[in-house]
Amino acid sequence: MLNEKLVAEINRLRSKYKDARSCLLPSLYVVQREEGWITPDAMTAVGELLNVPKATVKGVATFYSMYRHKPMGRHLIQLCTNVACMLMGAESLVDLLKEKYGLTPNGTSPDGRFSLVIMECIGACGTAPAMLVDTDFHDSLNDKNILEILESYQ
Amino acid sequence: MITVTINGKKLLLEKPVTILDAAKRAGIHIPTLCHHEILEAFGGCRLCLVEIEKVPRLQTSCTMNVTDGMVVWTETEKVVEARKAMLEFLLINHALDCPYCDKAGECDLQDLSMKYGPAAGRFAEGKRKHPESYDDPIIVRNMERCISCTRCVRMCERVQGDSAISMVNRTSKTFVEPFSGGRYNCEYCGNCLTVCPVGAIMSRLHKHTYRPWYIEKEVNTVCSYCGVGCSLTAQVRGDSIVRVVPEMEKGLNKGLLCNRGRFGYDYVTSPQRLKTPLIRKEGELQQATWSEAFAFIAQKLKEIKEKEGGSAIAGIASARCTNEDNYVFQKFLRVVLGSNNIDSVAGFAFAPAQRFFENIFGQGVTANPLHGISRSDGIFITGADPTTVNPILGLQVRGASRKRVPVVTLGHMPGLVRFATQRLVPQPLTDTAVLAALVTELIKRRPLSGEKPAFEEIIGKIPPVSLKDAEERSGIPAGEIGGCAEILSGMTNPALIIGRDSVQSSRGQENLLLLAALTYLLNGRIYLLSELPNEQGLVDMGCLPDMLPGGRPLAVESFRKRYGEFFSTEIPAAPGLSLMESIEGAKAGKIKALYIMGENVAYNVPDTAFVKEALSSLEFIVVQDIFLNETARLAHVVLPTLAWSEKEGSYTNLERRLQHVRKAVEGARSSGSMEDWRIIAEISRMLGTEMKYSDAGDILAEIAKVSPLHKGITYGDMDAGEFLWPYKGEPLRHDVSIAGIEIPEAGSLLKKPEKEALYVGIERPLFHSATQSRSSSALNSILPEPYVRLSRALAQRMSIADGDSVAVSTSAGTVELPALLDPDMPEGMVLVANNFADRGVFRVMSWRMHAATKSPVLDGMEATLRKIDRKTAEVSG
Repeated sequence: MLNEKLVAEINRLRSKYKDARSCLLPSLYVVQREEGWITPDAMTAVGELLNVPKATVKGVATFYSMYRHKPMGRHLIQLCTNVACMLMGAESLVDLLKEKYGLTPNGTSPDGRFSLVIMECIGACGTAPAMLVDTDFHDSLNDKNILEILESYQ
Repeated sequence: MITVTINGKKLLLEKPVTILDAAKRAGIHIPTLCHHEILEAFGGCRLCLVEIEKVPRLQTSCTMNVTDGMVVWTETEKVVEARKAMLEFLLINHALDCPYCDKAGECDLQDLSMKYGPAAGRFAEGKRKHPESYDDPIIVRNMERCISCTRCVRMCERVQGDSAISMVNRTSKTFVEPFSGGRYNCEYCGNCLTVCPVGAIMSRLHKHTYRPWYIEKEVNTVCSYCGVGCSLTAQVRGDSIVRVVPEMEKGLNKGLLCNRGRFGYDYVTSPQRLKTPLIRKEGELQQATWSEAFAFIAQKLKEIKEKEGGSAIAGIASARCTNEDNYVFQKFLRVVLGSNNIDSVAGFAFAPAQRFFENIFGQGVTANPLHGISRSDGIFITGADPTTVNPILGLQVRGASRKRVPVVTLGHMPGLVRFATQRLVPQPLTDTAVLAALVTELIKRRPLSGEKPAFEEIIGKIPPVSLKDAEERSGIPAGEIGGCAEILSGMTNPALIIGRDSVQSSRGQENLLLLAALTYLLNGRIYLLSELPNEQGLVDMGCLPDMLPGGRPLAVESFRKRYGEFFSTEIPAAPGLSLMESIEGAKAGKIKALYIMGENVAYNVPDTAFVKEALSSLEFIVVQDIFLNETARLAHVVLPTLAWSEKEGSYTNLERRLQHVRKAVEGARSSGSMEDWRIIAEISRMLGTEMKYSDAGDILAEIAKVSPLHKGITYGDMDAGEFLWPYKGEPLRHDVSIAGIEIPEAGSLLKKPEKEALYVGIERPLFHSATQSRSSSALNSILPEPYVRLSRALAQRMSIADGDSVAVSTSAGTVELPALLDPDMPEGMVLVANNFADRGVFRVMSWRMHAATKSPVLDGMEATLRKIDRKTAEVSG
């Protein structure tokens, strides 16, 4: 079940759209922001709230790759390893994250602090390598500053 | 005019249609996989590609309309090459397991691959793997065969309106899945089975038991479940029905079926079927021969008739039997036994409601074609949820709603929650106040037409009910009721759909009058929901205590005389007893013998305990049935009859369409069971009245002579499809004075329960309609157990969770059921269905007869609810 705050936020979102289905993506996004991933219960609850069949909610939620369907760590690292970032050493960053936090791509650190998702281009080729942590953007990464940045996410 | 040339054939078209449709008209077949005639165009499979002159690239013919001068080629080298390539793509992942796939032989992909496809694919990587899902009792899902055409998803969402499945994930991992990922938990209409072009969605009922080419015959008949009467095709092999499928072009259902029609046919092969006649000897029902049984019945009926007179004998006809059965049955009662005591469950609500409306508007006012619902410009529904009582009628409502036709529902209707424009859910027993307020508002908004001055006078006398008063009674905000009145007043040809609950009420008379007023004010068309396949047939065949065949009132002497002269006898002028009166009469000793044809009164009539007691005090009970049900167990003689699939005849559906029921299998006939009419004719012969019928056709010919309504009726006409009201006969021109209609007082419209109480009402589950469905193993696998539906808020207050055991008690009895929580229900109601042995709602319902409508009053039954603690129950039990 969704908490009151989430219900209120989704209802607020609902008023911005003419059609309930249009409100589905932002509503799911709000749920993911709060709970880290989209639980089957949350899909049911969002469906009921918006009067959209829950199977339809599931179809939409599984189509878009940026919705998560398993529990995530407290912070989500989305690291780019596309060509520009790879040339600038992103792959060694992946190794570093494994060594330092026990993080593997699509995995969560054993302490539940971070999850890692490998991204395609996030549009920062000029300042590669780059990553997103939750909604914060970080670029010009190297072995040193990446650990400093991540230290501020507990 | 549009001129197109397809494959060199010139075609003249008035309106632009798709190239695919145009080709079809020209007799040219274009292959498709994602396109289906029931569904909207999709353009996903790319198999219908065609070459159009002056258009550089191939185009999908299912989505492109023809234009004037267009020249289309459907089988050029380029087209064939493209199709071949598309098929090669589809076969990358499609499992090539045709040798053991049930679809083989009727698989579109198989056929197309044979015609166009490459003999071998070039894709060397492996196929995707996905285990076949057997999590559902009815549907087997094999996603290795799925080609993602989305026909099933579109069917489920846009036609059925259930939206139980969707395409989940993306790219090559795209699968069709219900929400749970396993069990469907849907409406089980099975329409996804109809549209799946490959073997991805298959029925579990006949998995690996036959091949399409093993079908020996296909019989087009009519469904035996509800009053809609869908056309269906029974596929038969070795005298058993292998599968039931719809026909796309035929019948009022146009290719759609519901779960009962598609999967529920297996009750006819239930091992519980009666096989021989039974006679009660020394208190026990014992096997007997037919001649023994006939002789015994004839002797007993003769004795009772001579001693007590015909009026001491009553008959109960059946809405599951054909017109022919019912016609012969009422003739037997009236002509042979001299009794007008003949009625059926149609007398509870369907017949009284129809009579009320016909008295005002004339015979045939409820005979409206089903498709009129989706073509109307507004829909008002009250009294029952059409999506569960008459599912295919319910689809008309959903279809209309999708076209943005306003739908107003009064009462709780779970199947229409997502489809109603405005839902009015009043507190228990206060729907009359809301109806009255709607009528009051509409009188202000809509001028009277002056067509029926007598009725307009009555409408004028209906005491006005203010929105505020209605709000105070019903708990629905005045603004919402007013809003509904506004929506209604904008309608010019609405459909009014009326269910049983409006009639079987202490305010039944008031409800009917208000609904008639609404019909008149809105220029509406009435649809009476009907739970059984032949309720209308019962009315038209004269299975009512005061009606003769053709809907002719017994009270009119000339009708009575004409009917009597036909059989050289005199028909008693006094109207007979209704079903309820007969049962009361049995208890009081007025009725000595009861002849029951295909009706389980000890189960389907409220207050089971009382009915059983009344039946036990009878001198003689004869039951004709296909099962040894609760009623048959109390009988003195039980006779096995033929089920719907084993006999010829006709049903009249709720739109008053006459349809031909055809024999598909021999079935119980081979063990000696007979048609209901044949049994009666035999007994009649032994009582001295010859009924010379060799088959159902002879009876139909007699009906055509006796009933002025059915003049000239033949099976041939029915088969031609459109035996719709008005038939070729004479409709009733008898004038009934409506001056006698009682005008309710404001007080009775505004009645509201004095204290807050919990009421028990009738649940009508989609998966079971009546007692025959509980003998269907398929339907039992979908819904094996009854439940009590209660509001989520009430459940939370009593800390009842979904599935918890709950005891529902009334002054009449107690039933224990698992709880089903419903977020949209009013709090003061619990609903129990009447489909499972010993746990039906009629065990906890007593009744009284409404003086005016003669309907049993079934609302206002107070109940208490108790959560059963499993631990204590185990200790005490």
